[in-house]
Amino acid sequence: MSPESPNSRKADSRLPETPWYQRLNLLNTTLLIFLLAVVFSGTQIEGNERDLDVWQNLGRFLADFFPPDLSVVGQTGAALLETVEIAILATFFAIGLSLVIGLGAAQTIAPKWLVVTMRMLLNVIRTIPSLIWAVIAVAAMGANALAGVVALTLYSIGYLGKFFSEAFESVDMKVARSLRGIGADPLQAFQYGIWPHAKPLIWSHSIWMLEYNIRSASIIGYVGAGGLGLQLHAYQEFHQWDRFATVLICILCVVTLLDLLSERIRRRITRRGSPNRPISE
Amino acid sequence: MLSAQGIGFQRSGRWLFRKLDLNLYPGDFLALVGPSGVGKSTLLSCLCGTLEPTEGSVTVHLSKENSVPPKNVRRHFGIVYQELQLTPNADLLTNVLCGRLGRYHSLRTLFGFPKKLRQEAYQLLCELGVGENPRKWASHMSGGEKQRIAVARALFQEPELYFADEPVSSLDAYYAGRVLGLLRQEADEKTKPVICVLHNAEHIQRFADLALSLNPNDPEAHKIRRIRPSEKEPAL
Repeated sequence: MSPESPNSRKADSRLPETPWYQRLNLLNTTLLIFLLAVVFSGTQIEGNERDLDVWQNLGRFLADFFPPDLSVVGQTGAALLETVEIAILATFFAIGLSLVIGLGAAQTIAPKWLVVTMRMLLNVIRTIPSLIWAVIAVAAMGANALAGVVALTLYSIGYLGKFFSEAFESVDMKVARSLRGIGADPLQAFQYGIWPHAKPLIWSHSIWMLEYNIRSASIIGYVGAGGLGLQLHAYQEFHQWDRFATVLICILCVVTLLDLLSERIRRRITRRGSPNRPISE
Repeated sequence: MLSAQGIGFQRSGRWLFRKLDLNLYPGDFLALVGPSGVGKSTLLSCLCGTLEPTEGSVTVHLSKENSVPPKNVRRHFGIVYQELQLTPNADLLTNVLCGRLGRYHSLRTLFGFPKKLRQEAYQLLCELGVGENPRKWASHMSGGEKQRIAVARALFQEPELYFADEPVSSLDAYYAGRVLGLLRQEADEKTKPVICVLHNAEHIQRFADLALSLNPNDPEAHKIRRIRPSEKEPAL
């Protein structure tokens, strides 16, 4: 039988065995570490030793929420409007500042020392939760809605700055370099070579942040930073859970509406922005 | 206008070409030919200054400048890259208009281009058969259409020299002839030299003055052959 015959080739074609250590790529290794961490954490966390009837307690507590007291809808509407206003302004200021910080944190655009500095700054900002930002802002500016705007702006920068820098880094820099090659100055290369590609992603992240900020703005009022939180706090203090339920329902309505709308917008703009989108669409 | 003295390029220890001399004069249309992987694109990059040759030197003499290395005057070159390098999420008109960015201050182009320029760019898109929807994004166009937009951008730039890396590889016979015809016209009417990587023998015969072929087996065995008789000095 000649070496080229199909039969001889078939006899030689044996699937080589993969040693176990070759399967330990980054994905599998991190997954394994995570599972080990779950097992470890599960053995460390302990509940209350007391013999409590959890379901009965929960049932009694939730029963206080019903029926919701709809007499506070008008009052809630006004506070809800303030919450949305806080979120809109905070997102607006955060977008502006994050664009600058995001550019500085993008490895493909900024020098290394600036990238390291900006990323460190973003890490510090992200470490502090929104409620703590609100406490800081209230301490500095007093208990009002403006403190809420400042707190959420700072909180949002931590996320938007990171997302924007990643959006800038995802852009193929060859286009901007070729524009520089034909005499475009840095601003023109950015405006015509980088910005059009990054814009859909940036807007998509911004809409997500707005939606997120509306949820956050409902909470920061707990420490006096304006919006619905103030009302929630008062109802909680006086155990008016039926009124508390009305506020929650109002938040749920707004957030669900915004979620539906933003999801549609974000899907559309990121699909439109994808260079891999089929021509037929 | 463009002169290369003894240039060579080595990649991973292998010479793609060596001891290559070339003199290009106004109005010359030079075709770079040879099998795939022989180093045509690399040679083109060395000539336009995006790559530094391993040995030898390239100088360019433009109308208002002394002889300088190409990387110093690249803004005067109209380059059609093999990967095209269009802005995918910008519309066709903007992509073509980008050819003129070097002529305006960024404050002038911050809010778009003047109407007259937009009209000119649109005219060029129409000439190349992609004017039907100038507001469509480049990423939504087919490969051939994108190639024509890249050529339109280079033409709109009104450069002093053209470098094109396989500018008609995705085009049908009609548009390939149209694109190469426009480049030939730039060489004939405006005496702008054109250096173009081409594969099709008919295109080379029809449009080029000179053909420089690289040899995959011998980096020093490159050959320049004159296709059209010229009154200018010989290229080699």
